Amino acid sequence: MDTRRPTALACERMAPLVDDLVDDRLDQAAREPLESHLAGCESCRRMADDLREIRRSARTLPTHAPRPEVWARIAHQLAAPTPASPRTFWTGARVALAMAAVMVVSVVTSVVVLRGPRLSPQPTRPAQTGPAQATAAAVHPSGSDTVKDVGEYLRIADANYQQAITGLETIVATEQAVLDPAVAATLQKNMGIIDQAIRESRTAIASQPASQLAQTSLFDALRQKVALLEDTIALINVMRKGDQAGAARIIGGVIKS
Amino acid sequence: MITSNKTEADRTDRNLAARCRRGEMPAFEELYRRHSGRLYNVACRMTGSAADAEDLLQDVFLQVYRRIDSYRGEAALGTWLYRLAVNACLDHLRSHEGRQQKATDFIEDVEGLEPAANPSWQPDRALDRLDLESAISRLPPRYRAAFVLHDVEGHTHDEVADMLGIEEGTSKSLLHKARLRLRAFLGGGPADDAGRPAAAATGTGADRRRGER
Repeated sequence: MDTRRPTALACERMAPLVDDLVDDRLDQAAREPLESHLAGCESCRRMADDLREIRRSARTLPTHAPRPEVWARIAHQLAAPTPASPRTFWTGARVALAMAAVMVVSVVTSVVVLRGPRLSPQPTRPAQTGPAQATAAAVHPSGSDTVKDVGEYLRIADANYQQAITGLETIVATEQAVLDPAVAATLQKNMGIIDQAIRESRTAIASQPASQLAQTSLFDALRQKVALLEDTIALINVMRKGDQAGAARIIGGVIKS
Repeated sequence: MITSNKTEADRTDRNLAARCRRGEMPAFEELYRRHSGRLYNVACRMTGSAADAEDLLQDVFLQVYRRIDSYRGEAALGTWLYRLAVNACLDHLRSHEGRQQKATDFIEDVEGLEPAANPSWQPDRALDRLDLESAISRLPPRYRAAFVLHDVEGHTHDEVADMLGIEEGTSKSLLHKARLRLRAFLGGGPADDAGRPAAAATGTGADRRRGER
């Protein structure tokens, strides 16, 4: 059982070298005596195995990305009048526009499904104009892809988002009395954070109209706002039905996000 | 191939740095795009908070924009950025020492350290990711920096030494202690920097799960 005693001195020598062994930094000649020690010393073998597992696990930890508004905040703080190359910007802008078009369609569809025909006319308007124009922007001939064109298309996409948001906000404003005051306060707080991100993104775009990251940040924040409003409406609907479990699920999701 | 890619990446970085010095915002945005992800991950693991990491990332890039003139290309741009980011994280942790850090965070001797309350690491099984993340967050800041840069981010000791402004031997020593500390936190082994069982040194049961095997 006591495998350490005969090799106690070797254990002392082993400790500082175990990392070189674990990190595979030793040549064959240096490795052999250590491996021979490990073969006869359970304690050191466990340590080497554990450190290998820690190292292996560390290398497979997931990576995360900062939210797009971080760039908006940076750009917001920098006074940088130098415009960017229009062509560099265009590829990213097309992606942003396509996403905006998809999001507006999704918003309007959700609202129609959630609220039924009575409330559909108001938010339907952006669906009729927004995606059509945004899609047109996405397939616009590359020969005329100037900043002026892109800026115009982004303004249209932005306006469509705003129209959809206004429609959703109207619903929330008229129906939110059914919400618990504490929940309503949390929703309001989250909305304030998103609105702040929208404001910072707009400032960043104003100082750098060609910034792809600032545009991404703006549309990301707009998308978050739409999602929060959608969640709020879904919550209102389940509260009306007395579906406590459904309400708890939605509230959990909103708070988590 | 890796060296060639690294050389190419260094060349791109140097070009971007030169353009940033001329005040070209698109170059700065590209620089952010290339490096913000990795710096953010380091900041997340150093601070244990996504919100703090975002604030630090913002501060670091504002610093980069203002100090890009001082970057002369003596080290890879990535190394310079890591150095700024890690220093910002260490400053942040120091400034929050009183109210945010656990008592053990700045203790660099190891007696009396106990494993996590319910470590799920079983011998011969893969580590639980959340247990490891939690254990990393309990490391003293300098141990944490060495571990995150070497084991999580995959930098070599000479790169870590450059990023932390220390000798390569110190980097090795910090990493060794960090790994042993993590092993102890995870209930997998002795809480002794020299690798000796804590039970023998302190009479406590930091190695109790191993003892049960």
